[in-house]
Amino acid sequence: MSHGTHSSIESHLPPDTKGPHTSRLGLIAVVATFGGLLFGYDTGVINGALEPMKADLGMSAQIEGFVVSILIFGAAIGALIGGKLSDLRGRRENILMLAVIFMIGTLGCVFAPSWEVLAVFRFILGLAVGGASATVPVYLAEIAPAERRGSLVTRNEVMIVSGQFAAFIINFIIFRIAGENSDVWRYMLVVAVLPAIALLVGMLRMPESPRWLVSQGRDDDALAVLKQVRSPERAAAEMAEVHLLAEEEKESQTGGVSDLAVRWIRRLILIGVGLGVFQQFTGINSVMYYGTQLLQDAGFSNNAAIAANTLNGLFSVLGITVGILVMNRIDRRKMLLGGFILTTTFHILVGLSAFLIPDGSPIKPYFILVFVVLFVFSMQATIGPLVWLMLAEIFPLKIRSFAIGICVFTLWIANAFVAFMFPPVVQTLGIAPTFFIFAGLGVLAILFITTQVPETRGKSLEELEDQFRAQYS
Amino acid sequence: MTVLVAVGDSREGQAALDAAIAEAQKLNTGLVVLNLSLSPLQLPSIPDGLEVRTAERHGAEDRDPVDAVLDEIANDNAIERLVIGLKRRRPIGKAILGSISQRILLEAEIPILAVKVN
Repeated sequence: MSHGTHSSIESHLPPDTKGPHTSRLGLIAVVATFGGLLFGYDTGVINGALEPMKADLGMSAQIEGFVVSILIFGAAIGALIGGKLSDLRGRRENILMLAVIFMIGTLGCVFAPSWEVLAVFRFILGLAVGGASATVPVYLAEIAPAERRGSLVTRNEVMIVSGQFAAFIINFIIFRIAGENSDVWRYMLVVAVLPAIALLVGMLRMPESPRWLVSQGRDDDALAVLKQVRSPERAAAEMAEVHLLAEEEKESQTGGVSDLAVRWIRRLILIGVGLGVFQQFTGINSVMYYGTQLLQDAGFSNNAAIAANTLNGLFSVLGITVGILVMNRIDRRKMLLGGFILTTTFHILVGLSAFLIPDGSPIKPYFILVFVVLFVFSMQATIGPLVWLMLAEIFPLKIRSFAIGICVFTLWIANAFVAFMFPPVVQTLGIAPTFFIFAGLGVLAILFITTQVPETRGKSLEELEDQFRAQYS
Repeated sequence: MTVLVAVGDSREGQAALDAAIAEAQKLNTGLVVLNLSLSPLQLPSIPDGLEVRTAERHGAEDRDPVDAVLDEIANDNAIERLVIGLKRRRPIGKAILGSISQRILLEAEIPILAVKVN
């Protein structure tokens, strides 16, 4: 989960020619990879580790939901604090600190003697996950040259789901090798230390963000950084752009709580909140966190479930890749509505398969698997990346920072809520009613989009603002 | 001497602006228009001879509109009068968001002209 910075400034800069700085820029891409991978790995690793963990630590469905979701609650808080800290102390220092917290959190989980200790360290890990989600994409956007900015930020999104996919595959391999061992979940978790080390080592070689340096009045330092990562002519020319963007960022932090008194602004923020909440209420992350267990409940053996779960990861990556490719060619509203119609249809089909096909039938788990995978694919190809894009483009500049902060926070809380409720609800009601609930939420989402969400593709922010003010004041 | 008017994104803001133009003309002074809203301000037609300067909220320091008003007064010694708009608020809205006008009335140290909208 991440959001890119949005800029209305057209740049007219000399092209960045090849030179010794090019390899340093290559390193930025590597750090991009590890920031996103780590994020995905840490959120996905629980999928597959959970079943042996439950057996080993004696966890009920309620405790299971608690242990899984506490990381997400931590992430909601981490995203708030992380954003503030990276403004205060700098992006680089913040990411270095986060990499260390990642390691502490991961190792604490690996060696946890009880679920209580595990929960504490998963909360700490969540703080780092949230902090990284608020800092890494910003850092990347600030240090990358304008022509590569967008692709680096979307690359980060692909890397997040790739990290989850990697976690599913590695969990599957470890389970094949050491599945009989009651500590197998600890081996799965410890692998997440590797991308954290890569992030730490990578960041140690990276410079501070020039835009942050300018916002601190350190122009000489900013120019020195630009000279490391751009050709000499380009570096000097880019200082003006960095100043403009730093100014724009300062401007984006103007609005706050008091501006909620204005009806059309309140309305826009509610739309953003609704988009984030409904994105999570598709239940995408119940598949990402509990996919293996879901497939076991559907009738697969332990071995087959953890293998089949890798398909969830694969189709998530494929989906988001397709989504990013088509995103700017289809109207936002159409794509959102199409997405929710597809996901709701597949929710109903999962529910019907679980409800109508008798338990013990060999085809039942396969039906459920196919529809879950199709759900994951259609979600990631539409609603997943699109909601992030819309959050970045619907708010007037002066309230953007505050508004996106609220939306991202509620999105995380909705994510945590679904993660918390999913295991006990599946245990009490079963798979079919759980997916019928998701389908019901999908219908609400369709109503919400039809009646509330404006079309934003191809409209300037000014046009959108005028339309909103006219409609709601 | 200068008159300062705080204009929010509301009908009372527009009423305050109209009253401030009249007040500045009556006192024969300049006018500073502080835009508290988050979008560009549509100024009404300004009478000839009236000197108008506009100021904007900018950055996190101005996140609180009351701070923006008090800072403007502190930074411009010529400002000797403040014009604001008031409206009746429901207790629940006041409890959640607070009252900007009430805080300005209590915290600003220059005379204030408060106008109401019917």
